[in-house]
Amino acid sequence: MRAPLALLAALACTATGGEAAAQSYWAYVAAESEDEVALLRYDAGGDLVVEKTITTGWLAAEIEAPHGLAIDPAGDYWYLTLGHGFPTGRLVKYETGSDTIVGVADLGMFPATIAVPPHGTLALAVNANFHGDHVPSTVTIVDLETMFPIADVVTCTMPHGSRFNADGSKHYSACMMDNQLVEIDGATLDVTRRLDLIANEPAPAPMDGHMAMPAPGGANCSPTWTTPHPDGNRVFVPCNRGDAILEVDLASWRVTRRIEAPGAPYNLDLTPDGTKLLATLKGSAKLGIWDVETGEPLHLIDSLIPVTHGVVVTPDGRYAIVTVEGIGGDPGTVEVIDIEAGARVASAQIGKQAGGIVLWKMEG
Amino acid sequence: MKTRSTIRPTILILALMALATTQAAAQDVARVEVSPATLSLAVGEMATVSATAYDASGNVIEVPFIYFSRDGRGSLAIDRTTGEIEAFRGGEFEVLARVLGPTRISGTMTVTVAFPPLDRVEISRHGGRYYTGVTMRHKATVIDQADDARDEVAVTWSTSDENVASVDRFGVFTAHAPGQVTLSASAEGVVGEITYQVADNPVTAMAVEASQSRGRTGDVIHFTATASSAGGTVDDIPVTFGLMSDPDVIATADIPPAEVDEQGRFVAYRPGIYTVTASVPGRTAHSTVEILPRHVVEEVELVGHAPVSNVATSDLWVWEGVDGRDYAITGTHNGHGSTYWWDVTDPASPVLTDSLIVDARTTNDVKVSEDGELCVISREGASNRRNGIVIIDCTDPRNIEIISTYDDELTGGVHNLFIHDDHVYAVNNGIRFDVINIEDPANPHRVGRFELDTPGHAIHDIWIVDGIAYTSNWNDGVAVIDVGGGDRGGSPANPVEIARFRDIGGATHAAFPYRSPTGRFYIFMGDEIGAPAFDGQEDGRTPEFMSGYIHVVDFTDPENPEEVARYEIPEAGSHNMWIEDDRLYAAFYQGGLRVLDISGELKGNLYHQGREIAVYKSYDPDGFVANAPFTWGPQMHKGNLFFSEYFSGMWTVKLQPRRTLIP
Repeated sequence: MRAPLALLAALACTATGGEAAAQSYWAYVAAESEDEVALLRYDAGGDLVVEKTITTGWLAAEIEAPHGLAIDPAGDYWYLTLGHGFPTGRLVKYETGSDTIVGVADLGMFPATIAVPPHGTLALAVNANFHGDHVPSTVTIVDLETMFPIADVVTCTMPHGSRFNADGSKHYSACMMDNQLVEIDGATLDVTRRLDLIANEPAPAPMDGHMAMPAPGGANCSPTWTTPHPDGNRVFVPCNRGDAILEVDLASWRVTRRIEAPGAPYNLDLTPDGTKLLATLKGSAKLGIWDVETGEPLHLIDSLIPVTHGVVVTPDGRYAIVTVEGIGGDPGTVEVIDIEAGARVASAQIGKQAGGIVLWKMEG
Repeated sequence: MKTRSTIRPTILILALMALATTQAAAQDVARVEVSPATLSLAVGEMATVSATAYDASGNVIEVPFIYFSRDGRGSLAIDRTTGEIEAFRGGEFEVLARVLGPTRISGTMTVTVAFPPLDRVEISRHGGRYYTGVTMRHKATVIDQADDARDEVAVTWSTSDENVASVDRFGVFTAHAPGQVTLSASAEGVVGEITYQVADNPVTAMAVEASQSRGRTGDVIHFTATASSAGGTVDDIPVTFGLMSDPDVIATADIPPAEVDEQGRFVAYRPGIYTVTASVPGRTAHSTVEILPRHVVEEVELVGHAPVSNVATSDLWVWEGVDGRDYAITGTHNGHGSTYWWDVTDPASPVLTDSLIVDARTTNDVKVSEDGELCVISREGASNRRNGIVIIDCTDPRNIEIISTYDDELTGGVHNLFIHDDHVYAVNNGIRFDVINIEDPANPHRVGRFELDTPGHAIHDIWIVDGIAYTSNWNDGVAVIDVGGGDRGGSPANPVEIARFRDIGGATHAAFPYRSPTGRFYIFMGDEIGAPAFDGQEDGRTPEFMSGYIHVVDFTDPENPEEVARYEIPEAGSHNMWIEDDRLYAAFYQGGLRVLDISGELKGNLYHQGREIAVYKSYDPDGFVANAPFTWGPQMHKGNLFFSEYFSGMWTVKLQPRRTLIP
């Protein structure tokens, strides 16, 4: 029987001592320039195997850019954003296992990452509009039962890194062009506050229809992700152009720590016990692992090829599964990293530009 | 540097307990009731609904809800957290209250918004003179005080004097006797009226004349009807055209052998004898024409093949180089960012002269400047997400050199482009085109851009002829834009829209303008419609699922364009095309390369008219996918027809006169 990932994470991080049993880990990975999603299985200590490749998109002759992935907390469905449409993107709901399409919802311009809260009722998709004018974009709220886009909440320019906190009471996203962290209330689904990550003070909403202004003094962060800590007190935000990971204290709503992370940190994840912070370093083709307590780096692991993208930590905290885009015709690569050892233990090739990743289940 | 306190397990446990409590409460929800169950509002009125969750025992559970309405989108404004509703448009709508919990249970209620009172009923004709015996259908449009058309409102037709004229429930109006009569269309007490002066039908003679007595399948023959009275021609009596068909070959379940429209435009799909009737009440004339086979089929001779088997091939461009030799450039799709240059002076033996790999996964479009010196390729899938265009010196296609790249605000990926008069018109991010001045190719700079103003607009392709751009805009159809060659004051820096036309279906992927020797100006608008995936997902399988067709729009009067014909083949969908000398060269994906006779006036489905000159499907056992025709784009050059094949590179064929009698 499958165990929901949230429960597995809770059990894993409250467990004390003892060796974890041999496990199998299942993950979906999107290959953005192949219009494919790969389902991979990693048996601890064994090989990483591509179990299935699911072709997606409407037009065989166009690339529609599968980008963000999320899993239904009960494990029954997985959700995928398609970045390119006519011109807006879409959210596709698949049944896990059969990988058949259950429903489709229309989103905004180039939707990127998505987050599903623990109750599994909604998805919040950030419409990154990576290539449009630098004007505020939206987060689309989708009712996952009907696949109806309930509302578009204006947040900021090029929103990215859609993530809920552990109890689903708050949602966070970052604004790559406005250098903001945006918080949305999980019940009202309204923006509750914004933080200017450069000035380190609460920020107003960017003016609708106005181009994002460069940060004063040339300072830049270009935040690309948000990862709430399981203690509920803080959120980590990588500065893709600042070579740092910021720790934002939620009580004071201020940046309280800056962890140096050279190499253009992009996506983050934390071990379920909150003790280790992992970041893909897109510019240096590495995965970095830091001690959350000290902020000191523990490991820097080279990827096999350039452009590391996504990272997820298994619910037992043993492994990180990392996606690597490659360049041009390179096959996308998925790598399994033993977090404690700081070493790659398995890898597999999938379609071009491996990016979005989500864990489906842990068995064994 | 500040330091963090140690993670305290107790905090974590408390957080997990809070999560568990919330989830547990929501998990117990067995049903949801929304109060009130029904609600009636007027436009502009507001009300609040509230939901209550119960467990299986009927106990109330405190859980958060989110309120929304799927069918009320655009008609209701709903505060998603408070349940406050404001009505904007009439209708009956379902409001859902969804529990934000894992059970995904929702409750529903119904909001009925009263429509605004009706304002008027408009009748499709204006009244005036009418003749006894004449029957014409009239249509009514009901409009309410919000100026919205109300299609659901029933309309009742009547006349003021049944002895003068009568009308049925469909608005079909027939005059019986001279006199004044009012035709009324009423809806919920609101009445629209027009008045006719009915006179005796004066027609004493009827004649109809065909523009030609003999033709071929596909020829458009105009039948001109003349109704006369003792006093001369009667111009204001409607003429009805009919058709008696006697095709040479009759088959069951066949298409209609011919058609004639309300303007007397006739076209036949099958050879035979056809009699067109032109009628007014009491008088009928007819004219018979003979339709012969079109006999346009030619043979296709394979000339050469430039194989590309490691990656999918996209667009091509063939040109005469500055050295007088002939060259071709082919892009690649969904691969490693490569582009290939070929010497095709001897098209039977294409020679790869150079290649280029850029940071991209697709170089979909490749174009060459009019003087043959500059090549420009589009980029998509760059690893740094900065795509744009690459400008290349291809004066010597054996030694091409990148002059510059340009990606400023073109990062979203350039899928298609066109070069015209020292400017690159680059389709940008699927929503607009940017105009890049390349007079100094080392220093390209943007001078203009153009974007439609419709909600959710998109653009896929651009083609320019004589300073007029034709953009393909999916659901918005084709836009005709003056970029310097029109009479609207347009320029590369200031593109000015001339006209726009949305074809039937709205999936416009490519457009090609053509001024026919007939004097008519057509725009051929190709669909691109697909299915989610190739046939199966195994390597080596033939893709089979592209659909859509080419729409032919008569743009002779840009103020009144008319979709007059189509080229729809049953087994495949259209892609890129080329038109020259009354011939359409069209890529139809799995339907291969098609050559179509488009001479003369066009009407109906050209596929059934014997206009297909040739069909060629290229099979390459060593292709990227073996033996899988998937034709991408054609170009005629110096009598040779070059075309790119998605799975096998570039091919060249030549059309030859028939050596055998091909039906």
